[in-house]
Amino acid sequence: QQIQEDLNKQLFDNLVSFLRRSHSGFQEKTTEWTCRMKTREIPTAALVLGVNVTDHDLTFKSLTEVLQNNVTPYIALLEAKDCPGIKNLMRKLIGQLMNCQVDVDSLEEEDYVQVSQNRIPCSMTSLISWYESVTKKTDAGTPRKKRTSSSRHWKSPPVVVMFQDMESFTTRVLQDFIVISSQHIHELPLVLIFGIATSPMIIHNLLPHSVSSLLCIELFQSLSCKEHLSTIIDKLLLTAQFPFKLGEKVLQVLINIFLYHDFSVQNFIKGFQLCILEHFFCQPLSVLCCQLGDAKKKVNSLSHNQCENVRRLPSFRRYVESQASEQQIALLTEDNFLKETIQKLLEDLHIYHENYIPVLRCLHVFTSSLPKYPLGKQIRELHCACLENRVWETEEYESSLQLARMLNRSDLVTMLQQCVEILVSSPGKEFDEAVEKLKEFLTQFHKLEEEAFQEWDVSVSSPKELQKKTDLYHLQKTLLELKESRRSKKLTKFEMLRFEVIEYIDSLVRNYLVPADHKTLHEIMYFNTASVLREHLNAAPRIALHTALNNPYSYLENQALKSDGGSISNKAPDICIVYKLHLECGRLINLSDWLEAFSTVVMGAEGPNADAASSDHVDDVIHARFIRAVSELELLGFIKPSKQKADHMARLTWGGC
Amino acid sequence: SARKNKKDKMSNLVEEYFEAHSSSKVLTSDRMLQKLRKRRLDQQTLHDLLKKAPLAYAAEIKDLNQQHESLFSKWMLQLHLGFNVVLYGLGSKRDLLEKFRTSVLQDSVHLVVNGYFPSITVRSILNSITEEVLNHTGTFRSPLDQLEFIIRRFREDSSLELYVLIHNLDSHMLRGERSQQILAQLSSLPSVYLIASIDHINAPLMWDQAKLSLYNWLWYETTTFKPYVEETSYENSLLVQQAGALALSSLTHVLRSLTPNARGIFRLLAQYQLENKDIPSYPGLSFQDFYQQCREAFLVNSDLTLRAQLTEFRDHKLIRTKRGADGVEYLLIPVDDSTLTDFLQKEEEEV
Repeated sequence: QQIQEDLNKQLFDNLVSFLRRSHSGFQEKTTEWTCRMKTREIPTAALVLGVNVTDHDLTFKSLTEVLQNNVTPYIALLEAKDCPGIKNLMRKLIGQLMNCQVDVDSLEEEDYVQVSQNRIPCSMTSLISWYESVTKKTDAGTPRKKRTSSSRHWKSPPVVVMFQDMESFTTRVLQDFIVISSQHIHELPLVLIFGIATSPMIIHNLLPHSVSSLLCIELFQSLSCKEHLSTIIDKLLLTAQFPFKLGEKVLQVLINIFLYHDFSVQNFIKGFQLCILEHFFCQPLSVLCCQLGDAKKKVNSLSHNQCENVRRLPSFRRYVESQASEQQIALLTEDNFLKETIQKLLEDLHIYHENYIPVLRCLHVFTSSLPKYPLGKQIRELHCACLENRVWETEEYESSLQLARMLNRSDLVTMLQQCVEILVSSPGKEFDEAVEKLKEFLTQFHKLEEEAFQEWDVSVSSPKELQKKTDLYHLQKTLLELKESRRSKKLTKFEMLRFEVIEYIDSLVRNYLVPADHKTLHEIMYFNTASVLREHLNAAPRIALHTALNNPYSYLENQALKSDGGSISNKAPDICIVYKLHLECGRLINLSDWLEAFSTVVMGAEGPNADAASSDHVDDVIHARFIRAVSELELLGFIKPSKQKADHMARLTWGGC
Repeated sequence: SARKNKKDKMSNLVEEYFEAHSSSKVLTSDRMLQKLRKRRLDQQTLHDLLKKAPLAYAAEIKDLNQQHESLFSKWMLQLHLGFNVVLYGLGSKRDLLEKFRTSVLQDSVHLVVNGYFPSITVRSILNSITEEVLNHTGTFRSPLDQLEFIIRRFREDSSLELYVLIHNLDSHMLRGERSQQILAQLSSLPSVYLIASIDHINAPLMWDQAKLSLYNWLWYETTTFKPYVEETSYENSLLVQQAGALALSSLTHVLRSLTPNARGIFRLLAQYQLENKDIPSYPGLSFQDFYQQCREAFLVNSDLTLRAQLTEFRDHKLIRTKRGADGVEYLLIPVDDSTLTDFLQKEEEEV
């Protein structure tokens, strides 16, 4: 658990720092702009942030920090949920501004109390008088305040008001606020920042012309969430830094949730977190999932039971089977020998990871420039493909190699250069040779340059011949001849070299991009139970209800409940019978018919042993059971009482579900 | 062509849907519950009857629940890591949560919210947090302020921990946007651990992206097949006699304590209402007509006494007055016809 929390933390720190960085460029622009603005209209920055509302919190938080450090101490962040009316908005705004000031100047407790008492009168005038007093203070100022205000900010710093979720504000409140504040813009230099999830059109939809003319709007675009995703995948999955890895299916599920459901980076991280949690909770050997040095130490202290666990891993069994028979016996019986082997295998795995990523990047350099992207445009698609199967056996890989063999020289050279860079920067030691080889290719290309030019001349001259003849028949003939000759012609040096390069890349791929599933002991590092994720993140309560009601046998394993296909046994729980009967109805259900049908079914189940004498009593009980089942269905939302007709229920669902 | 087939099937289904919903006429039989010789059961007898009916498949249900109970330690871990747990599936999850509470949460501060209880409000939840957990006496202007106070306290004091168990987060009282927003914000506090159950099929519609991310749910399917005893006891049903509406027993009880004349007045009104029960737009008996009839039957002798009598009826919720379009006061007995018939029969027997 400790490791887990550490890992989580590590992961989170990494992410937060990344998000900071990715926003910083964008923030700098905004900051700069806030400094510049000083006009009669209210300067307004509209930040188009995209639909992933959940990620915006972090953006705004860091934006606040940046602004606070560089521009102004007066920042208020307003959220729609806190501001149902203009009064709440003003109160919130003033409260935040005054507290902001306290934060920045770090005054004593007494002042804090004063400020919070001041929260009760909240009008624009009080805000202005406050602002004046504050700026006066900073103008005249004690030395300490001078330091805070004059060194970093200018004399009258603007008051920044951020509306985090523009779309959810009520129009009325926004309009009122803008109109009010525009009248005081001279005394109170306001700057508004709107966070927009949809498109800048929303400003004009929300605000009438008379109001929006008071604003001086500038648009800022943030990075699209897809780019965020690819950076995150880059940082989290395609590094050897974290020992924990995601299996192919899990990654696919996470990416699908991201791309098809919410575009939320935060949810992606949540899913990743859940994976870590689940992995360390369920897999007993996950203790070994840490840095190589630690893992080796831990291997030495493995208990006998844990050794047995290792022996039970399917990938380890495969490994044992491939060994000689004495070694097999040693592996299966002697713990010490096993531990040595595990250490060796873990090292292998580690080296595999170190090599995998640079080679993957190299391959991506090649495939991402091909037309139609047979192996995908993004590196994550390539990663998935490599994890899923032996990539060189797939059709897509074949076709991309075909395409790569037709690359022209300049592209090929730049790609090779990129590959060299990637391989040089990688920590793996085995690439010296590869780098050498690639560099050699490069120099050969340089040598070829001149020859290539000559060849160009030759090839240019041939079309000239073509131009002489205008007859269609002759043209066709010469073209055919040309083609023939080209086919029979020996390959040029360039082409030879090109083939060689491609071959080499191919061999790299074959050596290093073996899918993780084929590696021994991959279970320790890879989490591959996608169903868990789907269940807990992307649940479908309706399906669960439907199966429970339709087919109770899948939950209650009693032979009496087993039935085939659509029919339902009459021994099923009451609610299932009632549900089944209600499915047969249209939009409205007559209660008394329903009751009768129910009692027929139930009587049929009890039939033989129910005697006539107590039939009245049985009837009552059945009636009561029916009432219970119907009110349960009502609670579940399948039906509701209808006023259209007496004693009728309306169905709220359609068809079989 | 399988795909095309599916598509055809789809469009068929869609057409069927609109066909079924196009006309307001619905073909169902006209039979009514009253025609069955069954009397309506009240809450108590229903309860007693159900006790007699044995719960089917008790053994299997027990097995199922034991499976769920094995997840308790996992839930605890996940709650501590910042997730919140939501349970869905068929059957009451009340016992399961209760078991969770008694077996795991014994020693920690926890709050149980019965969402199905009809008079629960977010305010009362917040109140119980501020008063019981934070020991704060004092009132707040609005739930938002209260929430802010709670958040501040929890942020300041990292030793505070609170487990919140909500049965039926999707109940009528809590499903509103505002209350969900407040609960979501509450649950997003790192030291507040929320575990809730939902039952309604459309419950996930309550949450938008922002709320979902505040809640940070982990979904668990816990199908229990247990009857919803507590939850449905508040559910209004056509089949059960309502405590809110006047029951026959209470009607007779009140009238027993009145003078014979007063009973006569009420009987007169009841008879008139029954005679006109087939007129759908029957507004009730106007006061002037009623006064006339009462005079003729020698039940009252002045306008004033009748008014006084009617006031007394109204206090006991035996009658309701409604102003018609013409400004005349109309009198109605807010009791369904069958009860009224039963009542008159009983009265006649006594007389």
